[in-house]
Amino acid sequence: MNNYIIKTEQLTKKYKSFVAVNNVSLHIRKGSIYGFLGPNGAGKSTTMKILLGLTAPTKGSFEIDGKQFPDDRLSILKGVGSFIESPSFYANLTGRENLDIIRRILGLPKNVVEDALELVGLSEFGNRLAKKYSLGMKQRLGLAGALLGRPPILILDEPTNGLDPSGIHEIRNLIKSLPDLYDCTILISSHMLSEIELMADDIGILNHGRLLFEGSLDRLRQNAMQSGFTADNLEDMFLTMVDNDNASRKQRAIL
Amino acid sequence: MKVLSVELRKEKKTGVIPLMFAVGILGAAYALINFIVRKDTLLNLPLAPMDVLLTQVYGMIMILNMFSVIVASCIIYNMEFKGGAVKKMYMLPMSVPAMYFGKFLILTVMLLIAISLQHLALVKIGITDLPQGTFELETLLSFAGYSFTTSMPVLAFMIFVSSRFENMWIPLGIGVAGFLSGMALAASNIKWLCVHPFVVMLKPAVAMTAQPDMAIVIIALVETAVLLIAGLWTTKNLRYE
Repeated sequence: MNNYIIKTEQLTKKYKSFVAVNNVSLHIRKGSIYGFLGPNGAGKSTTMKILLGLTAPTKGSFEIDGKQFPDDRLSILKGVGSFIESPSFYANLTGRENLDIIRRILGLPKNVVEDALELVGLSEFGNRLAKKYSLGMKQRLGLAGALLGRPPILILDEPTNGLDPSGIHEIRNLIKSLPDLYDCTILISSHMLSEIELMADDIGILNHGRLLFEGSLDRLRQNAMQSGFTADNLEDMFLTMVDNDNASRKQRAIL
Repeated sequence: MKVLSVELRKEKKTGVIPLMFAVGILGAAYALINFIVRKDTLLNLPLAPMDVLLTQVYGMIMILNMFSVIVASCIIYNMEFKGGAVKKMYMLPMSVPAMYFGKFLILTVMLLIAISLQHLALVKIGITDLPQGTFELETLLSFAGYSFTTSMPVLAFMIFVSSRFENMWIPLGIGVAGFLSGMALAASNIKWLCVHPFVVMLKPAVAMTAQPDMAIVIIALVETAVLLIAGLWTTKNLRYE
């Protein structure tokens, strides 16, 4: 029943008067792909940063595989591959050297670097300086860094940003195949439902820091049909959900 | 050890290690050439031969060391900020203060190597150019230790400042301002001005004797420790967001 590998309780993050994340309670099942959906500025990245200990929550708590920050920081990060916002790399090093730095920190064998480069299709560019990579290649390098050593949990923030259509297709298929390939759990964010729809088992929809929906894609489809949308047009359902929330926020602000 | 080996790998192609070696060699060459060209003038100064050897060429050597420390500290952290790599470091199971300490240690060792190279040249000059029987190895070693200790507050300060600013020009500007204000204040006898790390580094250069000033040594050690602890604390508590 309680098979959640990531669980958040009323997670809140405030920056002065701005609430970036507002009482968000997520439940991510072990071995699933959880799509974290929301328009730009909804609080997806902030939530992910909280989960990685990059920023502390103002209120609320969370557990990753039964462990908590900051006491279990090292133990949590050992099992989490992550990619947040934009790729992070040493511009003075090659792609291969960048991954080697991460490998050494994680204490992994040498062959994992080639494995990760192969997974993201960067093998032949491994010896090129990372600063000379195109945006798509930097994105792949960031993804390779997250996949290094095949961690049991992956937290990926818009990993297909900057990729061309074939790159998006390739990375999407890769992400989709990962839970079967080595039994991992993936939390992936995007602002496009069409993107998430093709990968995720469960989704959470966030707008202005509030979680508007959490559940399986099937449940979202049922909700769509009950609300008069067709099951194959979830994008409209998502946009309406966000618009309604924005309208009610405006209403509350006026009152 | 793992942190240190990772840090050394990161330094690749940044030029930090060659820069510090080059400064050591340049300083040594400056001392050698200076004594070839100005030997008689220098030895005719109303100072003891060891004081001439250690204080009269130290000014330029110290400026070289100071600027190498400023530039190297900026580079050593700029590579972390340039591609956002530091963000990744916070997401990995490693201690970020340990990374800071690794950088501090690498720069300290490189500065020590540079100062050793420069003092090796002074040993050579002392043996070949000073009047017979006036060269004292012990005095030279003590001055080398003094110049290294008084350089450490600037090194600790510059790494601390570089770790706090993503834009490399800010710590570089602070370093240059530190040098200029230090130059203006170094000759003063007011002891509390020694809270300024650049003044501490400049003290041996404005002295006319090679004898270390123990008060300055203690101030340098305390400042280094305080700045190092401040750097470790901020990297741990004021994390990347």
